[in-house]
Amino acid sequence: MVLDVFMIQNNYKFIKKYEDFCFGDLKLIFDFEKKIALKKLISINNNYNFIKTSNNDLFNIKVENQLIPKNKYKIEKVFKNNNKEFKVISIDFSQYFNKDFFKGRISFIKKKENIIDFIFQLSAKWKNNIPKKIVLNFPFIINFYKDKKFLKPGHIFDGKKTIKKGVWNLHEYPPSIISDNSNNNFLGLEFYDQFPWQANYNLAMHEAISNENFDKFETEVQLTQELSDIILMKIYISSNVKEKIFHLWKENTRERYDLRKYHNNKNRWIENNYLQHFMFAYGEEAFDYKKMKFKINQIIREGKEFGGYDSILFWHQYPRLGLDESNQWQLYKYLPKNYKTIKKIVDICHSHNIKFFIPFKPWDIRPNESLDSHAKSLEKFIKATDIDGFFLDTMSSLPKSFLKIKKKFPSFEFCSEGTPREKRQIEDLTSSWDQIGDIRRNFKVDINSNFFRFIFPEHPLNLVSRWSVGSDKDSLIKRAVFNGTGMVIWQDVFGCWLPFSGEQKKNIKTLKNILIKYHKCFFGDSSIPLINTLSKKIICNEFSDSTLKEKIYSIHNFSRNEIKGKIIKLNSEVKKISQIYGKNNNVKIVKKQNNFYLSANLDINDLILVNIKFK
Amino acid sequence: MKSIENKKIFINSNKYVYRVEHLTLEGTCSIDHGPKCVEIKDLFVDKYPVTNKQYLNFLKKTGYFPKDNQRFLEHKPNKSIYDLPVVFVSQKDAMEYAKWAGGRLPTDEEWQYIASGPKYLEWPWGNKFNPTLCNHDGDHLVSVNVNRKGASWCGCEDMVGNCWEWTAHIHNDGNHQFALLRGGSYFYAHDHWHVGGGARKTNYHWKLQILNEGMNRASTVGFRCVYDSK
Repeated sequence: MVLDVFMIQNNYKFIKKYEDFCFGDLKLIFDFEKKIALKKLISINNNYNFIKTSNNDLFNIKVENQLIPKNKYKIEKVFKNNNKEFKVISIDFSQYFNKDFFKGRISFIKKKENIIDFIFQLSAKWKNNIPKKIVLNFPFIINFYKDKKFLKPGHIFDGKKTIKKGVWNLHEYPPSIISDNSNNNFLGLEFYDQFPWQANYNLAMHEAISNENFDKFETEVQLTQELSDIILMKIYISSNVKEKIFHLWKENTRERYDLRKYHNNKNRWIENNYLQHFMFAYGEEAFDYKKMKFKINQIIREGKEFGGYDSILFWHQYPRLGLDESNQWQLYKYLPKNYKTIKKIVDICHSHNIKFFIPFKPWDIRPNESLDSHAKSLEKFIKATDIDGFFLDTMSSLPKSFLKIKKKFPSFEFCSEGTPREKRQIEDLTSSWDQIGDIRRNFKVDINSNFFRFIFPEHPLNLVSRWSVGSDKDSLIKRAVFNGTGMVIWQDVFGCWLPFSGEQKKNIKTLKNILIKYHKCFFGDSSIPLINTLSKKIICNEFSDSTLKEKIYSIHNFSRNEIKGKIIKLNSEVKKISQIYGKNNNVKIVKKQNNFYLSANLDINDLILVNIKFK
Repeated sequence: MKSIENKKIFINSNKYVYRVEHLTLEGTCSIDHGPKCVEIKDLFVDKYPVTNKQYLNFLKKTGYFPKDNQRFLEHKPNKSIYDLPVVFVSQKDAMEYAKWAGGRLPTDEEWQYIASGPKYLEWPWGNKFNPTLCNHDGDHLVSVNVNRKGASWCGCEDMVGNCWEWTAHIHNDGNHQFALLRGGSYFYAHDHWHVGGGARKTNYHWKLQILNEGMNRASTVGFRCVYDSK
């Protein structure tokens, strides 16, 4: 390996004022006159400098609330390696402050195309070996944050302001994005390797930059005598389109995951589980009180109004469990004709190509039970009834005891109530609900982009907001359409009858037919949430597979006005365009100066799907 | 061993303000929980929940055996548990007994009045919970007469804890059928998602959603009877 430059200044006064370093499309110029600051951050393709303000110190250190003056830092060493496989520039510095000795290192590393790691390391040797309170902030990041073109994760521009229109619940956080005025240059900033724990510095950075007042942000750190990693930031670069930042981040994130369980051919059926019916046992919808039997045929018939159920989740344990000692498995014995009832229902479902789930209640595990004993009970139950899946109530992870079941029954599926949040859970759980709704706080169903669905399109989600009624149910359907997800059809919520209207059923049926017809496109690996639109108050998701030959755009007008005209700039010439969801919105392609635009007339709250085939 | 005698206690007619405190964990209990003025007519009430011995006697005398017998008397009552409240009976099984005994199940309003009385006591014995006066968070059912000091204002014992008690009606909101249980039981499940167990206040009822008889019968649900005064 050849080191292009290796410069040591130990024992000498560091005299260089500036140092620049090129990372492909991005050039960094360090300002050593102002000690350790970034003078410029330039996108080489367009010669655009992302840094506009004068004070761009890379960090500030406060020791027991006293700021170490920046002119006191001594630059010890600048190390550069221009090797293609591992480009790096790092700056070592040191400082005595009130008899404590600090050493630090700032590094920028490029190992992958268009991705640069920023690493900040710090150590301290304490006088008397007693640690002091250290607080840090990062002026150069704060300057980005204060820039008018800074987008927090999941936000879009709404005129001069930004609003949040993307949500995610997993412990991978999409980058913030900063762009130039002409929208030709983009930087994504991500604080990676977060752990869901308050003492994780990167999580603190992410949360701070995602919320208000990051400019006042300070983080406390504990230093040791050795250089420790304090902040790890990834910078994603695009000198083309904003969407590339998401794509780079997604690919980089997914590389860490073992997604083999999603490629088990035996349970691929879960990919088509668009509509799941929640069959609450204690009500007229599910139970015939005169004949004392379940109305499974009627449920299946009624399901056709929604486009047909793909699975049924049978529910009779809650809210009955706990009345006596009976556990969740025993309650099946008390159904009419005990287990045979379930077996009969399952057989009927299977004859209609409908899968059947039962729930697992982790909160009901008794002192004499274990997850292993429940796994055994489940195994027996599968053998006796042929059920297809286990719904993990209140859970967003899959216990290892249950995972073994998959070896014996490869087509068996586990679906959790909560979308999995952490790596292992995302790898093991191959489907889940996308559950929203908190009526305690006057919950309103928002039509926004579910980022999880775009990062892991192979993980099927069924959208549900159990207590939503009326216009919120309309919004719920629109949210499913906007994100191209399936739904849970839950009308009897533990004894409250909250049905869908005829119109709503019709819309769900349309959604399901679209998901079937355009499955490849909707669940392709090149889909991108919240792409740039040409009109504020319009949000748009783009769905496509890796061929990029065909795309679907889900477009929502969330303004209080009708919007007419060009909505999205397209990147290629169009072969065919068709509106596949929504009323007739006069969707068309407009060509102007060799550019192609998608144009439409959108009334207030309109949501449409447009299918475009490209030449 | 001499079994206990389930005396009938007379309750004078009275008007009282019915009010049940009942927020369910999710959803609602769709009946009017008051406050509303209700009239209790003269009636007699069993001092204790109906015991195994009483119920076995009923079976012997009538030959009653439910058509749907799933879990019916699953605890197999015998002499050793004669004085325990009969359980594993559905509301229908309880009604059949009551009818045979010349009575009926108490309404939800009547049950509350019998338990709390004209002073609106929150527990049969007073306004402060005392777990030593009832079978609360126990391992099993106990004889109906072991908590004498826990008697209500009119002398009825075992009103709370030990076993839930059926009340008279099946409520139907058009889409669901449910009955109201009173008093709580000895069984106190560990999680907040479970049915709230243990002894429950006199102004509390549990909404039991009705399904088939196998699901309607439980090891913690019994009943007592009231008898209209002629």
